Amino acid sequence: MRNFGKAIYNYRVHNQDPTTMVGVGLVVLFAYLIAAPILLLLSDAFFVQFADQARSGQSMGELTLYYFNRVFLSAIATDVFWRPLLHTATIAFGAIVVALAVGIPMAWLISRTDMPGKTWFATVLIIPYMLPSWTFALAWQTLFKNRTTGGQPSWMEALGFAPPDWLAYGALPITLILALHYTPFVILLFGNALRQFDSTLEDSARVIGAGNGLIARKIILPLMLPSLVSACTLIFAKCLGDFGVAYILGVPVGYDVLATSLFRAISTSQTGMGAILALTIVVLGTISITLDMYLLKEARRFVVIGSKGSMNRTTSLRGYRLPAAGLATLVFLVSAVIPLLALAMTTVMKVPGVFALDNFTLAYWIGSDLGTTALKQGILLTPEFWQATWNTLWIVGLAALGAGFLGLLVGYAVTRTSSTMIATFLRQVTFLPYLVPGIAFAAAYLSMFAVQRGPVPALYGTPIILVLAILADQMPFASRAGISAMMQLGHDPEEAARIAGAGWFRRLASVVVPIQKGALVTGVLLPFISGIKGLSLVVVLAVPGTDVLTTYALRLVDYGYGQAANAVVLMICIIAFGGTLIVQKLTKSKLSDGLGGK
Amino acid sequence: MSSISIRDVRKSYGNTTQAAVERLSIEIPQSDFLCLLGPSGCGKTTTLRMIAGLEHPTAGRIHLGDRTIVSVDDGVYVPAEKRGMGLVFQNYALWPHMTVEQNIEFGLKLRKVPKAERDAIIGEVLKKLAIDRYRTRLPSQLSGGQQQRVALARMLALKPDIILLDEPLSNLDAKLRLEMRAELKRIHQELGSTIVFVTHDQWEAMTLATTIAVMSEGQLQQLGTPDDIYERPANRFVAEFVGNLPINIIELGSGRSGALVGWMRDRLAARTLPQPAGSVGIRPESVRLTRSIVEGAREARVVEVVPTGGSWIVELSVDGEQFFAIAGELPDATRGDQVFFHVEPQHLHIFDVDGRRIAA
Repeated sequence: MRNFGKAIYNYRVHNQDPTTMVGVGLVVLFAYLIAAPILLLLSDAFFVQFADQARSGQSMGELTLYYFNRVFLSAIATDVFWRPLLHTATIAFGAIVVALAVGIPMAWLISRTDMPGKTWFATVLIIPYMLPSWTFALAWQTLFKNRTTGGQPSWMEALGFAPPDWLAYGALPITLILALHYTPFVILLFGNALRQFDSTLEDSARVIGAGNGLIARKIILPLMLPSLVSACTLIFAKCLGDFGVAYILGVPVGYDVLATSLFRAISTSQTGMGAILALTIVVLGTISITLDMYLLKEARRFVVIGSKGSMNRTTSLRGYRLPAAGLATLVFLVSAVIPLLALAMTTVMKVPGVFALDNFTLAYWIGSDLGTTALKQGILLTPEFWQATWNTLWIVGLAALGAGFLGLLVGYAVTRTSSTMIATFLRQVTFLPYLVPGIAFAAAYLSMFAVQRGPVPALYGTPIILVLAILADQMPFASRAGISAMMQLGHDPEEAARIAGAGWFRRLASVVVPIQKGALVTGVLLPFISGIKGLSLVVVLAVPGTDVLTTYALRLVDYGYGQAANAVVLMICIIAFGGTLIVQKLTKSKLSDGLGGK
Repeated sequence: MSSISIRDVRKSYGNTTQAAVERLSIEIPQSDFLCLLGPSGCGKTTTLRMIAGLEHPTAGRIHLGDRTIVSVDDGVYVPAEKRGMGLVFQNYALWPHMTVEQNIEFGLKLRKVPKAERDAIIGEVLKKLAIDRYRTRLPSQLSGGQQQRVALARMLALKPDIILLDEPLSNLDAKLRLEMRAELKRIHQELGSTIVFVTHDQWEAMTLATTIAVMSEGQLQQLGTPDDIYERPANRFVAEFVGNLPINIIELGSGRSGALVGWMRDRLAARTLPQPAGSVGIRPESVRLTRSIVEGAREARVVEVVPTGGSWIVELSVDGEQFFAIAGELPDATRGDQVFFHVEPQHLHIFDVDGRRIAA
């Protein structure tokens, strides 16, 4: 009887409010939306698929090393895996080297010198990161492509040059574009580290007689190293999963990277092989992210020592002020102005790169009789464009709304539940998509939702699969935001509401959500922007009926409608850039604040 | 209706063997002003939060009047929001997104008080606490003292039978503290509510409470009036914890020797104690200083005289052993002087070997 009473008591105590139930609900939801697809994808790697029964000599569902052999050891392994791996590594390391070479001087100029206009540069040099990376690939194509792929001539061709293949496609442009796109990582991380560097550390070395060179080598460099290595690992991880740039500039000439090889495996229904490739990317990504987390922890150890004497002293550039500003302007021109301008100009030119008055036209925007087979009118008059815009807004919007709210709810459950198991699981499962590149995550969603499972019908071809995939893919950011917001809130406001007599739902509606309004807005807007830019996830999952702007642009590229594609891309850029600015205004934060804590 | 009785309450966290609160039983009669006093980590805030319903006991029962709100063995647990108590948090816990007025109104709305009545109540409490001109401000626009008043107003608006206060004065400066202390006393007298007040400040406890519960390491050390606690400490812990200048303790255990021990053994020789004394405590303010020898006095040398404004702390050396006295008048002795000190028998706090008070 006594034990019975105690059991009832414990039940009542732990179910005073539905926090634990909400936690369990979220655990189930994310096990289904994140863990299950990834596990399923990974299991595809080791079980025989229906189509491969004959070749593998095993029957469907049997445990097999067939795919493993095929990807790593077979005759096609070089084409499917080893060469793309080599390409990926080349591109990633090349991008890192270039990004460091450009980013370190820029970060130093912005944060520690008297270069004119440095606050302005601090903003504009980050622009490439706000835009989708493959935008720049399209711009490159517009400027440099040659007859190897045909279609409309590039500006270079129009001006009478024939760009060689090594300039037009493959390793060089891909490396340069990824480098320029991720240089902001270096500028932000290294710049922040420089700015937070405690000048007293430098002074104390100088006081005991150390010269500039010695100080740079023994004091500044060791303290800056974590931020640099952190930038490198982040760039590496991003390059691993980057699909769009290589798809536009590599695939047409057979230059494959891991992401495009994976895409090919998936689009040709070689699920098992795709799974192995995805697994490889996930493992490489996990290693680099783990390394980054470890280094961030190390860096934090330094911060503790580094006390509060922050650095506001600047190095005087004297006669080099203007050349320095010139250099920064050059970087800005190359990394943002020229590509965007090229894209924009192309959309109003009949033949790209020909600067004759009669070559200019608004037809690609608002014309009505273009004489092309599939796209007879300007993009703004094309129903497919508006369909894609509408799809983008509602699909990505719904996913972002879901991610924002679920992120806050995850934050609530993680910080409020008495079960550490639920809290730990939620933290980890919502972070998981960060380790999985978009293409692989999309592949996971295909494995999970392409067929009917239990009561859930096959979702491929419906917008639902896009909403779910984008939502799940954005959960790492949304849940991080939610958890940190809830941690800052503390228990007091809610406890005060309990004392006043408010039940759980009332507390959530009248206290928690209103206080977290700002965090919620960010938690919705950031996934929205990132979702609009995203290509690799949707390119696998979208079908013509569910095209969003990014996939629609890519389809136009595939059809060779350069002007129209560029116009669509410009629209995406405007939305992404504007959205980022709005978020920064609303939250009074800088993009840089969100970078370190990932 | 609004008495509180805490019976055999225990609270432990997780698998730790050390309980935060151990077999605590306190009866708090209606309209009592009870102070839970103790050093940080003694379980006083946990006790308050268990009464409020923000923590749940691992064992035991809590009753409000004849209503059971917690009974572990009978499966009774009333959640915080259904207990109808008032609680003021240490850091006030005002809702940052609501104005002063909205903060106060929230609880009234939950109780479905009509609008006109709500406005009347809000006006009344704002006026009572002299914060009516901050009505439309957000908490972030108020100073600590003003926030404190809003927190009090928010609680008072609901007219709770039971008021719980978690170190509400600890974040205020000295002058505001004095004001708020008077305010609390006034509220208690006006409303006749039962108040439970948590503090680590003995002076606050002494001046406010009708009953003090001294706690240490999760256990109740003594429950009594402020005078009881001060004049008749139940054990060594209470004797040493309460008192502005720490009490002088003379250890009398076997093997102890020295000038003070010898003097005290002589003083106790004439008395018949039910148990052997383990130690004796002497409050500095019970020590009388003279320039000439009197019956039972001991000779000492003045090490230092420290003025504290209105009284003087006199540090003595008794053959090299430190001993403190407080003089209410400027002592006519300075550093290095020889003086005599003695203590009236009723001012000796005698404890047994386990530190429990021996009723003499």
